[in-house]
Amino acid sequence: MMVAAIAWRNIRANKKRSIVTVALISLTTALLVYSSAFMDGSHNKMIQAAVEIYPGYLQITQRDFRDNPSYDNLILDTGALHRLVEKTAGVAAHGARFETFVLYAAREKAVGAMLTGIEPEPEKLLSRLHSSLVKGRYLTKDDTNALYMGVELAKRLKVDVGDTLSFIGNGADYSFAADRVEVVGLFKTGLFDFDGGATFLNKPYFDQMMASTDLATHYVVLPRQPAAVEELAAGLRQQLSRDYRAESWRQTMGGLVEAMEVDSIFGYITLGIIFIVIFFVIMIYTLLTVFSRIREIGILRAIGTTPGQVLAMLLGESMILSLLSVCLGGLIGGALAYYFYLNPMEFPSYEEQFKQYGLAVTSMPCAFEPLTILRDMAIMFLLSLLSGLYPIVKVNRYQPVEAMHHV
Amino acid sequence: MRLFMVIMLLFLLPPQAGAAITAAEIIKKVEDNLNGETARLAIAMTVKTSRTQRTVRLESFSIGTDKSFIRIAYPKKDEGITFLKVDKQMWQYVPRIEKIIKIPASMMQQSWMGSDFSNDDLIKESSISKDYDANLLGEDGSGFSLELIPHPEAPVVWGKIIMGVSRSSFLPTEVDYFDEEGVLVRTLYYREVQRFAGRLYPSLWVMEPKTPDKAGHQTIVRVEAAEFDQPIDPEYFTKRALKRFSK
Amino acid sequence: MFRSTGSGLLVARIAWASLLRRRTRTVLVVLMIAMSLWGLLFMQGLYEGMYEQMIDNAIRSGSGHLTIYAKGYRLEPDIKKLITNIEEVARFLAKDQRVASVVSRINQEALAATANYSRNAKVLGVELGAEQKHGRLADYLRQGELAFGPKARGAVVGSGLAKKLKISLGHKLVLSAQATDNEVSAIALKVRGIIKTNNLAIDDGAVFIDQAKAAEFLGIGAGVTQVCVILHSEEEMVPLQQALRQKFTDLEVFRWDELYPALMQSRVMMEGFSYVTYLLVFAVAALGIFGVILVSILERIREFGIMLAIGTEFALIRKIVLFESFIIGFLGYLSGSLLGGLTLNYFRVHGLDLTAFSEGLDAFGLDAIMYSIIKPDYFVTAFLAVLLATILSVIFPLRVLKKARPIEAITKL
Repeated sequence: MMVAAIAWRNIRANKKRSIVTVALISLTTALLVYSSAFMDGSHNKMIQAAVEIYPGYLQITQRDFRDNPSYDNLILDTGALHRLVEKTAGVAAHGARFETFVLYAAREKAVGAMLTGIEPEPEKLLSRLHSSLVKGRYLTKDDTNALYMGVELAKRLKVDVGDTLSFIGNGADYSFAADRVEVVGLFKTGLFDFDGGATFLNKPYFDQMMASTDLATHYVVLPRQPAAVEELAAGLRQQLSRDYRAESWRQTMGGLVEAMEVDSIFGYITLGIIFIVIFFVIMIYTLLTVFSRIREIGILRAIGTTPGQVLAMLLGESMILSLLSVCLGGLIGGALAYYFYLNPMEFPSYEEQFKQYGLAVTSMPCAFEPLTILRDMAIMFLLSLLSGLYPIVKVNRYQPVEAMHHV
Repeated sequence: MRLFMVIMLLFLLPPQAGAAITAAEIIKKVEDNLNGETARLAIAMTVKTSRTQRTVRLESFSIGTDKSFIRIAYPKKDEGITFLKVDKQMWQYVPRIEKIIKIPASMMQQSWMGSDFSNDDLIKESSISKDYDANLLGEDGSGFSLELIPHPEAPVVWGKIIMGVSRSSFLPTEVDYFDEEGVLVRTLYYREVQRFAGRLYPSLWVMEPKTPDKAGHQTIVRVEAAEFDQPIDPEYFTKRALKRFSK
Repeated sequence: MFRSTGSGLLVARIAWASLLRRRTRTVLVVLMIAMSLWGLLFMQGLYEGMYEQMIDNAIRSGSGHLTIYAKGYRLEPDIKKLITNIEEVARFLAKDQRVASVVSRINQEALAATANYSRNAKVLGVELGAEQKHGRLADYLRQGELAFGPKARGAVVGSGLAKKLKISLGHKLVLSAQATDNEVSAIALKVRGIIKTNNLAIDDGAVFIDQAKAAEFLGIGAGVTQVCVILHSEEEMVPLQQALRQKFTDLEVFRWDELYPALMQSRVMMEGFSYVTYLLVFAVAALGIFGVILVSILERIREFGIMLAIGTEFALIRKIVLFESFIIGFLGYLSGSLLGGLTLNYFRVHGLDLTAFSEGLDAFGLDAIMYSIIKPDYFVTAFLAVLLATILSVIFPLRVLKKARPIEAITKL
């Protein structure tokens, strides 16, 4: 307590040094807190967008479907799967999809595209198809030949809402599937390939055309807690027959996850460089103040204060200052992160670039994770303590007389 | 008639050591026997997979290997769908949507109506004598075994083909398709040779993929009626025919 | 004259002596500058290397600096939209000093098939010799050779496509594509080489074949679909584009940044990012230098007072202080540049191996091994930054010194 009181007094006595140190450390802390919040936030957002636009958090497929997506590797009993997922805890929504490739007839030219039968109601929650509507309407569970298609594909086929279109494809029994459908709605997710190549029908109608009743290529599950997706996948894997596999987005979108990791590594390298210089600056400032008080320290030693006590006093000062700065910085950084968490930054000019990489994101929110903020604060606290350590230890090595005469 | 004469001639001439038949000659005969000047077939095609089985009935009209017209007669759902192949182009007409669609190059490797034949199998003049060098691997009382190696520039995907040919009919009995590694990819069996309007013709064709990812697949083609070398209205081989003969 | 040289030497000696007297902090400041420069140089060289690599891959294997198409080809590619006056274009480009190399290509969508698999692909009918000089394709070769072999029956295939088709060297590949007569034409080719350019459009779909072979296969009598031009200097891109547009009104001329806008944006974003980091780091570093200089001036206020009292001009004292900070800055700059330069050179030669993340890097068209680059202007920028930081950090302490009236300070304790 005594040490703390003296340390506090000294801090107040050396106002300039204290202010510079506090300013420096708190700004750095704020920078770190904000940068990691921004990095995490933008990566989460990019992954989230990529996951949520269409693939979904958790996919159940037939064992070999991902390696060989053919009609030989279908989910054969969506009814049973539906019942099983329904009674599994932690599931917010789930639905079947049947993806197939068809040819759309536009004049005499045939344009290939994906045609997927979806369950319109659960699909509203499973993907962003519903919220990406730009013209017309979304599908309903009673729809028949109503087609929901990407805007870019509509442009390529030169059709609009209200127009009819013909497609031919293969049904699940390899029969011919062909029909006229009316375009009822257009969607735009921002992913060029998806908007330029995907179309959707209500699954009950689709099933009549494609002879795919009770069949599916994918069964998509939305966990109640997106963070708990791995546990949910593991739980489902135990209950599912060996013919099926349940995979989270981490497996289905491995490349994207890795890319974000690489980006984080580069981000931390950059932060690391900034930290190196800040580390030195704090060290320099501690050195300057400690040595400006070298005579005071010499006197203290001369009147019988032990080196341990001096060390404790200096460390105490350093600790109080660091703690203060880190808290202040954490608060500033946290506030910034929270503000940009609520009001994401917009990057309209980079839309093109993001699209090219399949990231349909134009605004980047910060993450607001109190635990991460505390982690960053702890890192900065240790860093600033560490950077003060060398000058403090060094000054304590002087003999009292030497110290008193130090210029 | 001409063919019959050839066959008769073969039976009349006793096989002699010096006059052994060459592989190329066998292939020529086989091709002549399989493809008439013109052909008109009624076919039932059954596609079997590990999960489903489906039968389609169709009528086919062809001149040589260049031109063919196919109309689906059964099941009801697909009735009236027509295909036209002229040289190396292929169109399809679907009455339900009243549209003629040209099959693009990118769809050529897709299976034809879910069968184990691809669009490509139908389109390419599978002219064995043109694309392959034939070697006689062996022969016995019942037939010949031929090894067919594609010419380096021939646009065929197979590494080699082994064909069994019956000595009595000069029709193929079994054709094994291998990839470049020498792995068997699929086998086509020709069975139940019957006489259709005076001509010997295999009435049962079975295509069996041999790769593990196609396990359980089989396509069975049964020729229910056939007519050869009768004149066929050239109108069948025009794009108009797709719609006109759909009904 | 005598005075100034004399004082110059004197200034240096005084400055050096005072720096030596406070050795610990001098070393700390020098270390600080050196370390931050080292980090900045490393970051800049590596990041720029990464993006230049990406752009370079796209230019060499894809568009060139400029790409010429027939009118309307870019919006709706069609092998009937050909550059038929290719000789005229070639002659025009050949006599232009700015042009380093020119290649022509015939592009068409196709289907590549083996006995077991088939995939959509893109035929590129090229002249291999010109292509090799143009984009140094040999650098991208992963397996086999860059040759089409006897009778041009060979093909060089993108690595991603080869993987999807499960083919390797010596395998046969059958290409089918729509020819100019609308018929589906097919040819058989032997895989003679596999390339990986990290330009995804090439890696995942390209089948390079001999140009004459492609023309025959697709039924093209004369002409090509694309002409790519690489220039000696990127600065000449816009003027040459203008010139070509004026000369050939029936053709369309695009710069690489028009064809790959995302790459250009990456570069701009990267540069901005580097500058912000630089600014941040040197703002902090200046703060460090500032503190040291300020304290050392305040400590010597009596010293300076005495100097002034015995008739030394303030200008001399200012020179001493400036010189001190300059020495610190220069030592930091030298050691930082040396360290940074050596590090960059190491990664320029050996590269930074990030194969552990290759799937993610592939998705972005980045090489798994990143090679840094070194540009002379890195060191110029660094020097200016150090200079600016030292000068800025001296201005305030000098004003403090002037205001403190050092002569009066002598009498103080």
